[in-house]
Amino acid sequence: MATQSDGAHPEATLKPGAIGFISSMVIGLASTSPAYSLAAIIGPMVALVGIYAPGALLASFIPMLLIASAFYYLNRVDSDCGTTFSWVTRAMGPWFGWLGGWAIGMTGVLVVGSLANVGVTYALLAFGADDLVENGWVVNGLTVALIIVMTAICVIGTELSAHFQDVLIIAQVLALIAFAATALYGAFAGTSELGSITPEFSWLNPFGAGGAALTGALLLGVFAYWGWESAVNLNEETEGASSTPGRAAIASTVVLLVTYVAVAVSVVAYAGVDFLTENAEEEEAIFGVLADEVMGGWSWVVLLAVSTSAIASTQTTIIPASRTGLSMARRAALPKAMGHINPRFRTPDVSTWTVAVIAIVWYLVVDYVSENALYDSLTALSLLIAFYYGLTGIACAIFYRHELTKSAKNFILIGVGPIVGALLLFWLLIESIIDMSDPENSYTGVAWLGVGPPLVIGVGVFVVGVVFMIFWRIKDGRYWQEKTSVADPVLAAGGHRDADGNEVAR
Amino acid sequence: MTIVLGYDESPGARRALGYAVDLAKLLGDALVIVYGAEPPGRMGDELAEHFKAVAERGRAALDQAVETATAAGVAATVELVDEKPAQALLDVADQHDARLIVVGTYGESPLRGAMLGSTPHKLLHWSSRPVLCVPPPADAGE
Repeated sequence: MATQSDGAHPEATLKPGAIGFISSMVIGLASTSPAYSLAAIIGPMVALVGIYAPGALLASFIPMLLIASAFYYLNRVDSDCGTTFSWVTRAMGPWFGWLGGWAIGMTGVLVVGSLANVGVTYALLAFGADDLVENGWVVNGLTVALIIVMTAICVIGTELSAHFQDVLIIAQVLALIAFAATALYGAFAGTSELGSITPEFSWLNPFGAGGAALTGALLLGVFAYWGWESAVNLNEETEGASSTPGRAAIASTVVLLVTYVAVAVSVVAYAGVDFLTENAEEEEAIFGVLADEVMGGWSWVVLLAVSTSAIASTQTTIIPASRTGLSMARRAALPKAMGHINPRFRTPDVSTWTVAVIAIVWYLVVDYVSENALYDSLTALSLLIAFYYGLTGIACAIFYRHELTKSAKNFILIGVGPIVGALLLFWLLIESIIDMSDPENSYTGVAWLGVGPPLVIGVGVFVVGVVFMIFWRIKDGRYWQEKTSVADPVLAAGGHRDADGNEVAR
Repeated sequence: MTIVLGYDESPGARRALGYAVDLAKLLGDALVIVYGAEPPGRMGDELAEHFKAVAERGRAALDQAVETATAAGVAATVELVDEKPAQALLDVADQHDARLIVVGTYGESPLRGAMLGSTPHKLLHWSSRPVLCVPPPADAGE
């Protein structure tokens, strides 16, 4: 007779014991994609705040750290890698949840073009095809081709082996540190042919620049750490009890901060502010130019690191974005087709290709319209990131409201920390919106509709989301039936429940 | 003894089910029907939702297969395993000390199979037990 055997798993559970120390440390690094992030932001950041770039990078980490605490605790009650969409819906209701899901999905979609573009540009530079980088048709053609190939890989579900990923990311960090060390040596020994200056501790002062430049730089800093919360989110999957992931998260954070600050300091020291300001309009490739200056014949090491970092990130960005689409569709918050699972590859194929199509259209439009596509879209993205991170921080405190007063640790890590993080991000968001509404403050000085382009993009994405949300609310109200709830006290205290909902001793 | 069948929605799967049921009946074996539900891409957000979506599909496929087997008078159990398909089949085969693993194939070129990832291909290399690969019916080919 047919029976459900004991081996059947009625509920989806993630395998424990899958990941060791090195791998969890690597995940923390890979999720922020340091080589790509630095290549993308270091130019605009130095153009904005000059020698205070290292300080701005350090300061941006603080809200990130506080919000990561919210991700950690929300993950504990809604384990198995939920996201802002699920959490905010539960804590603050469907309207906020939908917008959070929209923001997180759109950030994933909008960054893909920039990732692929950087991947292509730096690959060309690494192979010495510097002339082709100037050719818009070649770069755009290759970028679109790369997005399509990476999407196909995501749909087929091919993965690099974990081991190969580890090697790639470690090579990236080593290349960045080699770059920083060589550049600093050049600055101190006076071998730099640019106007090198000696590093000072005052560069670490985040408030050195002040004003609109500072908020712009901090916003880019948020982008640089975007994804870092994954490092603290993998606890359930990591082998070796609770100490391994904790130590791995700390180790990856230290490595990340040291790398970012070292590269920022070395860039400013080696090239000097004058050179960087003069070349501000070339900031999309400034890291490539500097790599050639600093490393000479070895620059391909750094260029290849940036390229692989960006290409690998397209995959790790497309997958979560398409899964958010899947998740929203399964709860009737998006059209049902978005929840389609390919029978052979078991991936959300419709959602994944949708991500790719929007990403390609977006990339081409921004590239055509904007004079400073990279900076404009990254800044706009940072607005969305600040929004959904902030929302997550608030959701954490609301969801855990009955647990906050149970201990001082709860109060600080679940309540005060995430709320302060959220307030910092919302402050940054509002400050940036005010600054950007005056195009004079955009260092490119370009204006769309009388305000800075990133603001138009950010608000545009948000408005499209709101319109679509209202349309969908009218068309299919099922998702809006979902009720808010509060954290389960057992899970909140770090306990577990079995399949029947009974408390299990650890 | 036991025969382990990997059942999904591949074109060869229905035919593989037919063969597995016939063999089980002939040999007096029990049939264990397996679906490996782990989606690709272990990292990243909303993994649990992806897992559930794949598992739902798997459960539907398994129910259908069990009906067919039961109708033919073969004792069938199902296992929905949170592993990738090939690993799931190997694990379940070991648990039951299976005589044979049966899978359906896509009946496609080796190159295509290598690029798209082929469960039968992996099984043939990894399995320490005999593997029976059943192609889709000839008229269903491309």
